[in-house]
Amino acid sequence: MTIVFAVGLVSWQWVLPFLGVERYLLPPLTDVLEALWDARSELLRGARITFSEAIGGFVIGCSVAFACALGLARWRPLGNALMPYMVAANAVPIVAFAPITNAWFGTLSPWSKVVIAAILCFFPVLVNTLRGLTSVRPEALELMRSYAAPQRVVFRRVRIPNSLPFVLSALKIASVLAMIGAVVGDYFGGSTEALGVMIVSSVSLAQYETAWAAILVASVLGIAFYGAVALVERLVLGWHPSIRAGVE
Amino acid sequence: MLSLVHRTIASLAGRLATLALVLAGLWALWEGYRALWERAGWTKPFPVDSTTMPHLHDIVRRLFEPIREGEPLLARYMLDAALFTAQEAATGFAIGATIGFLLGAAIARFDVLQRGVMPYIVASQTIPILAVAPIVVVGLGNVSIGGWVPKDWMRVAVIAAYLTFFPVTVNTVRGLRSADPAAVELMESYAASEWAVFWKLRVPAAMPFLFSAFKVAATASVVGAVIGELPSSIQSGLGGWIINFNQYYVLEPENLWAVNLVAALLGISFFLVVVGVERLVVRRPPEQLT
Repeated sequence: MTIVFAVGLVSWQWVLPFLGVERYLLPPLTDVLEALWDARSELLRGARITFSEAIGGFVIGCSVAFACALGLARWRPLGNALMPYMVAANAVPIVAFAPITNAWFGTLSPWSKVVIAAILCFFPVLVNTLRGLTSVRPEALELMRSYAAPQRVVFRRVRIPNSLPFVLSALKIASVLAMIGAVVGDYFGGSTEALGVMIVSSVSLAQYETAWAAILVASVLGIAFYGAVALVERLVLGWHPSIRAGVE
Repeated sequence: MLSLVHRTIASLAGRLATLALVLAGLWALWEGYRALWERAGWTKPFPVDSTTMPHLHDIVRRLFEPIREGEPLLARYMLDAALFTAQEAATGFAIGATIGFLLGAAIARFDVLQRGVMPYIVASQTIPILAVAPIVVVGLGNVSIGGWVPKDWMRVAVIAAYLTFFPVTVNTVRGLRSADPAAVELMESYAASEWAVFWKLRVPAAMPFLFSAFKVAATASVVGAVIGELPSSIQSGLGGWIINFNQYYVLEPENLWAVNLVAALLGISFFLVVVGVERLVVRRPPEQLT
């Protein structure tokens, strides 16, 4: 694995320029690192702005989705009827709605990106959580019924624990989507300090090294966010067979 | 036979009724929210008026009004733009799915690749790939291969291909490896060639995995096409219209909503096409049909 990584870096630095890949597509690694160092304070500020938008959207979108899933799991016919629509809603290019949230909150407001990130997170978490809450073993439900357990207890003891693997894999997807929402929402206009605006404006000024440096920062943030959620998954689901067996 | 027809009609009617109910529910939510916020004068989270939230019927009606005095309907332009964007997305989807499948098959076949390349493909799904879109689209505009310059829509198709490629590769590997080992052994005991095992066993086993990747990719390719049009100011597609109408949002907010409505419909239709093909191609045990 490390060999592939090293080969990748070496070919980025030397092989690509040798093959005639122009610097406007992918400048040599050292140039990008130099741009990264030169623009470090702007990039750091942009990273903070964009990352906090992503986290805000993630928290809001995921918690609203979880609450909705609980409601839909409680009233199954409603959940069953709406499920196909929620899946289809996932196919809507939601980032394209960023100009509208810009008009709602003001182009410079972080809230317009937070809302886009939240909506992006909402549907996968809703669909997966609902699947997790409802794909319970019938015996478990029968057992609870034989104890005359109220719905609240059924949820606490059976449905919610059963849904956790589904929820956490949805949270991993949502972490990626939240980053995309925060970065791409900027393409329709945003605070000049945010990462997405930096990427677009450096491209239009032909400062490709800076653009790649900003992309690098966004990627590192994306991986870190995903990694953090994956870590939480390991901690929360340590007991679950799928984690113990080392299966994804 | 007759009862089957009855049942099909009944289930179709049921579905249409649900669709109507869901649409009515959405309409009621929207207009109810509007009315409540306007009446109460609430300005959080944002002030509600006909600029921020136009009436839904105004948005739909806008589609069937001339774009300007004496010119064709807005819907005409939107249809052309949607077809243009669909072309970008579909081309990208086809290229990305083909490359993804081939690479996935190679990775599934050779363990070296599995260990060396797969972790990076999985990791690269966690980075915001769309962030690269401006560079790729603008950068490719400067490329000429022996005097041949890629057309605008082709550069955008590259983005769609790129977004399609990752999920298809990952799921191809998972799917091809999901073939029942006992069945593989059985075929090998018949001295079946590797090629035969691949086509007769592994590919059918991979189909459900492939289609779940296609569903993700269908959506992603439309998103990639719309977003890819932004940085290089390609005017003919939905992304170009979004930018255009965005500038005049304060004057005619219905325009932007209308083009976004069309984009949403395009995304959903791509998804539904994949679902439809899946229904035809993949045979599942009845209990998994949901």
